[in-house]
Amino acid sequence: MAWEKYDPSLATHDLVQDLKWDPQLRQQFKQNEAAVLDRYKLRPEERRAIEQRDFRALYDLGMHPYLGGQLSRFIWGNDAGRGAIEAANRLVASLQGHAGGIPEKP
Amino acid sequence: MAEIVFAAGVPHAPAVVGLFDKAPDEARAVVSRTFDSVGRALRAARPDVLIVFANDHLTNSRITAYPDFIIGMAPEHRGPHEWFKEWIGCRDWAVPGEPEVARALFAGLTRRGVRMNAESGPLKFDDNLSVPTVMTDLDRTGIRVVPVLQNCTVPPFPDGPRCYAIGQAVGEVIRQDLPAGLRVALLGSGGLSHEPGGARYYKIDEEFDRQFLALAQRPDHATLLREMTVARMEEAGLGGTAECLSWFIVLGAIGERPGESFGYTGWPSFRCGIGGVLWNLQEAA
Repeated sequence: MAWEKYDPSLATHDLVQDLKWDPQLRQQFKQNEAAVLDRYKLRPEERRAIEQRDFRALYDLGMHPYLGGQLSRFIWGNDAGRGAIEAANRLVASLQGHAGGIPEKP
Repeated sequence: MAEIVFAAGVPHAPAVVGLFDKAPDEARAVVSRTFDSVGRALRAARPDVLIVFANDHLTNSRITAYPDFIIGMAPEHRGPHEWFKEWIGCRDWAVPGEPEVARALFAGLTRRGVRMNAESGPLKFDDNLSVPTVMTDLDRTGIRVVPVLQNCTVPPFPDGPRCYAIGQAVGEVIRQDLPAGLRVALLGSGGLSHEPGGARYYKIDEEFDRQFLALAQRPDHATLLREMTVARMEEAGLGGTAECLSWFIVLGAIGERPGESFGYTGWPSFRCGIGGVLWNLQEAA
């Protein structure tokens, strides 16, 4: 992948930035993800990709990978030793189209 | 006429903090040797101010209005920003800022045709400044810091030749605009190969990293600029490897000098190639 699919206007980018900057929104996202998603002008396929944790589809719609990585940490965990590793593994599995098997996990 | 007394480039991968204890001995040794050596040299240089060029990682601005450079003008800088604390797993840190030098840098670069932005309030810092700060104990030195956040990840961003030219302008500002006797240190924070959030998140391009480290140590910047293109960096890891461009700014400022490296590790769980370079400012090319 290069940048040919990258679309800076994708609303998911704003969702990630707001989650990063607003602890209350993060809490709401954990408790009621749908209500948070309702506030953003997500295209139907974009929202579906978030709900289905389909990062391949999100990236194909134009998501910036760095913010994709952060979205995965809002979903699966952000702590250095555990949650962030699970987030990275699940993200890569989604992008590579398999269920897991990331080599050399610590 | 101020003087550049220290120049180095280091990576800032958060896992060198959070996964340090889980890394194999040889990987830990490279991390320790790199940051200890750079930290020791920084303290020995007795700088009045350290200017750090570091990738912003989309931490301060929306992607739809993304600046290529932001100079931090605040009287104090703190980190990591709230959401990044558990991710990096490092201590909270604070360093004194240097608003006068930040203002001179902003004005001087603007006059020299470099589009800069500046922020007088607090900037949010993630691993970009947090990792080098805690790994070199910068926050325990009292050295004043001017952070310059750089866009290396939201395309299109300034390429190698442009970053090198900006570095030359930075060198001019230091030598021509800053007060005589001021001792200035420069740090590039970023790289080596990595693809944060990408399908190749766990891939490290060791061939690229070793070539980059070798070229960065050679006082031959024409070859560095010719070989280490943005296209090659993106091939070595999209959206991450181009952080090496922060080193280009430092190199433009100091000119062709020999450098010293402290080893290399490509341990996959760091999710980033790790190695640094310290440049010898006493020895001209």
